[in-house]
Amino acid sequence: MKAQKELTMELEDEIFNDGLPKAYYKHNDNGQYVLETNAPWAEKVSCALIIAGNRANLEEIRKAVLAGQKSPLCYHMEMRQMDPGMLAKAAGIAGFRVKRHLRPEIFAKLKLSVLNRYTKALRVTLEELKTVPNS
Amino acid sequence: MSSEVTAAGKPFIHHHSAHCESGATSALFRDKGVEISESMIFGIGSGIYFGHLPFIKWVGLPITTFRSRPGTLFAKAAKRIGGKFFTKRYHSAKKGMAELRRVLSEGHIVGLTTNIYWLTYFPNRFRFQFNGHNIVVLREIENGFRVSDPVLEYPVDCLTEDMERARFARGPLEPRGFMYYAENVPLNPDLRLACIAAMKDTCKMMLRTPFPFVGIRGMRYLAKKTISSPDKLGFKEACRRLANIVRMQEEVGTGGAGFRFMYAAFLQEAADLFASAELSQLSKEMTAIGDIWREFAVVSARIIKQRGQPEETFEKAGGLMLICAGREEQLFRDLDKIARTLKA
Repeated sequence: MKAQKELTMELEDEIFNDGLPKAYYKHNDNGQYVLETNAPWAEKVSCALIIAGNRANLEEIRKAVLAGQKSPLCYHMEMRQMDPGMLAKAAGIAGFRVKRHLRPEIFAKLKLSVLNRYTKALRVTLEELKTVPNS
Repeated sequence: MSSEVTAAGKPFIHHHSAHCESGATSALFRDKGVEISESMIFGIGSGIYFGHLPFIKWVGLPITTFRSRPGTLFAKAAKRIGGKFFTKRYHSAKKGMAELRRVLSEGHIVGLTTNIYWLTYFPNRFRFQFNGHNIVVLREIENGFRVSDPVLEYPVDCLTEDMERARFARGPLEPRGFMYYAENVPLNPDLRLACIAAMKDTCKMMLRTPFPFVGIRGMRYLAKKTISSPDKLGFKEACRRLANIVRMQEEVGTGGAGFRFMYAAFLQEAADLFASAELSQLSKEMTAIGDIWREFAVVSARIIKQRGQPEETFEKAGGLMLICAGREEQLFRDLDKIARTLKA
């Protein structure tokens, strides 16, 4: 439990230490509104939770792909934070077909022309689309 | 703040703003010589709102919004201040990019609606599939554009490929290359008239709405839903929902407390404009409400973190939201009355 807590603390610091702060309105001593750049704590926590959730989800899908339960397309879709409906629109392929292509046995039989549509929509190369990263 | 040069050779001063749409709109006005702050634009465009849309799922989570629909803020602000803006959407990406280059070479600075995920100059935490991010393009540079992103502290470079993808991304609320620039802006706009119209409109949106999911009614609805969520959805899923609300409230360029502080800044400016003590009082009340929203965010974050304090419960978070709803209802009723007595 403690290790997990430290991990999320690290994540908060990691994702908010990129030198690109946002602006927040704040009262100064004269009662006027000014902009400051310190992110509130609650924001850091919720943002870290959502990003940690996304990462865990992606890792789960990666393992499922390696185990042969899902197609690599599913991984790349999740990596781009899309859902099948969005991917269908972006690739110009019907939604039900995109959902079918998430199954590995059907994805393996896809023609090059269909794969090229996915590579364009997801901005990955053909080799990347057919595989998932090892770690 | 930092200075830049536009395609026409005019100096451009980049202001760091809290919200993208109001920031981009005020940048366009400033470029034409109208000094107007971000919070003023936010108020005049009736940016403040509340809505919880349980039937529209977005990465599996229902949408909770503290702002009006993307695009309306710009349209309303432009209309009320009286500027003439060129706006256009494109079917063809090629044509859209060619038009952008043409307009830039004419010496305008151009506002664009983009998808925030494909703008790769953002760090990872900003990037999610959201099609309503507004940026201002200053000039073309070698294989890219110089971009003044209102959310960032300094202007940045954006690659042409990223820009094209971001402008013509598909999905909900497609931007379809939406592009806008000022053609003709009155140098001394009547801000008082614009403020009165905006205040009345805001009160109407928050108080008198037929839908139970938006305005003050939406707040009450979401509060009740939050209280019952751990029983209905399980603790983990309830936490995700709660985190999503807090994220929408604090993270996505709201200026803190779900735009409430920004609106308080607007009310303060309006109070100076009308020399009205009542508006100044309302600004203070809005700040107090913003503080309760902040407290709600902190309580929620403690629940999510499972800090083990038994007093931090979903009931408390929902209760805070109900307090906000009650006080905001009173505030907008008062504002409605005051707006009717103000003289333009």
